[in-house]
Amino acid sequence: MKDPDRDTGAATFTASRDGACDDAASLRRIGQGDEDAMAAFYRAHSRVVLAQVLLVVGERALAEEILQDTMLAVWRGAGSFRGESSVRSWVIGIARRQTRDRLRARRLRVVDDTFLAEQAGSGPGPDVLALDRAELAEVMSAIRELAASHRELLGLVFGSGLSLPEVAGVLDIPVGTVKSRLTAARAALTGILSEKGQNR
Amino acid sequence: MSTGPADTRSPHLDLAELIAEVTGQAVADQARDHLAQCQHCRAEANRWDRVAGGIRGLATAAPQAAPPGRPRPTRPRMLAGHRRARLAASAAAALIATAAAGYAVTAALTRQPPGTALTAVSGCAGFEVATGTLRQVTGSRLVISTASGPVTVTTAASTRVSMAGALRSDITDGAPVIVLGPRSGGTVAAATLTVGRLPGAKGAPKVTPPPGWAAVWGTVADAGRAGFTVVTAGGTRVPVTTSRSTFVVVPGARLGQLQAGVTTAAVGRAGRGRVLSAIGVVQQPAGSQFRVQFHTPVRGCSPGSLADALNAALAGRG
Repeated sequence: MKDPDRDTGAATFTASRDGACDDAASLRRIGQGDEDAMAAFYRAHSRVVLAQVLLVVGERALAEEILQDTMLAVWRGAGSFRGESSVRSWVIGIARRQTRDRLRARRLRVVDDTFLAEQAGSGPGPDVLALDRAELAEVMSAIRELAASHRELLGLVFGSGLSLPEVAGVLDIPVGTVKSRLTAARAALTGILSEKGQNR
Repeated sequence: MSTGPADTRSPHLDLAELIAEVTGQAVADQARDHLAQCQHCRAEANRWDRVAGGIRGLATAAPQAAPPGRPRPTRPRMLAGHRRARLAASAAAALIATAAAGYAVTAALTRQPPGTALTAVSGCAGFEVATGTLRQVTGSRLVISTASGPVTVTTAASTRVSMAGALRSDITDGAPVIVLGPRSGGTVAAATLTVGRLPGAKGAPKVTPPPGWAAVWGTVADAGRAGFTVVTAGGTRVPVTTSRSTFVVVPGARLGQLQAGVTTAAVGRAGRGRVLSAIGVVQQPAGSQFRVQFHTPVRGCSPGSLADALNAALAGRG
């Protein structure tokens, strides 16, 4: 929108989205050593990657290190991008592997994915009402208490801009499993909210 | 969802359709029609929207990504071998170089001395910007949590308040609206919306849509979760669809509309005790890439300088 309220005396916004660059072409240029392309790539993806990693590891300094490792891997491996996935899911996949390596190195216990997948969703029930009633801050707090695998999944689905098939690709699981884990994650979330509501 | 008599699946939207709706991805017309009529599915979509809101809230609260290549004092993996360390250091050096162009300007504009919460507006003596996360609004005061602590912002009737983001709940019947987005078969898919009367605006807005896009303005009718109708001054009705990716701008917002937990910047004259008397308050999600323009005449300060300071502050958070 081009300055719709000029001379109105208001502090306003104008639409100047300039981030719609061709990511695949950008990666090709990065692969050829184009530093400007790398800087643009960093600007386009770093925040989403950082938010996703931070959601999983819950520690800012560690998340920033993982982000840097991820971008280093992009700088070194851009030429290996074959276009079989979106660039966003490719870079998030790299970040996920970097996160996993760091967590392994720290010997942090991560809840087993299989176990989580087997947890049945609650479906509509009393717990769901806790979600209906919850304030945003309560939902955010409850998400922080979820298992890392659940946080990661919710972040990928709702925070990274990836489609469910792309999330399945990043996690290397079938789409159906993504759905069942989503249901389980929400059930866990509503459970936490319900418990907090009862304790208020 | 069910598509025919032989289809024994649930008549309701499946999870993929609900998630697509909540995340603003493409949803089939049939699914969208069903959502408009089905209370069960709307309730489910709202629940997933709450989950998504929590994730977005955490992402908004997440710190700004540090410029790449910042030296880290402890990197055990880089010490695993000389060759590996040299490779990593080489790549890091390249990243430091790439970062310089992209971050130097922002860093220069937003650098703050240790212990201060406000940033001076270049060329405007006495004016400063506070930026951070909105903590609370009480009456005409609001508190912004900045990197170095809370700042109290006082406002007056003349203070301009603007907000932007995925604010579809602000689209209500009767509201004046300007819609910009791609047109298909007479329907406009809203990319950007301006809601509410623009203070002092007269005549038709000056809007130049890109090729293939349309701009329509009028008042909102039949507002729903998936869209609404714009009724133009001439009585023409234009259907508009909205999604999670629709960016809504409210240029004349009320303080009470501001949302806690969202990136907020205020510009004005700084007083004692970390208090700022604001002439403008802006709230938008971090990394929105939408630029603020400031048109209020201010003695001793150009509106452009104020806008630059606000944009730099918001970019610093994004």
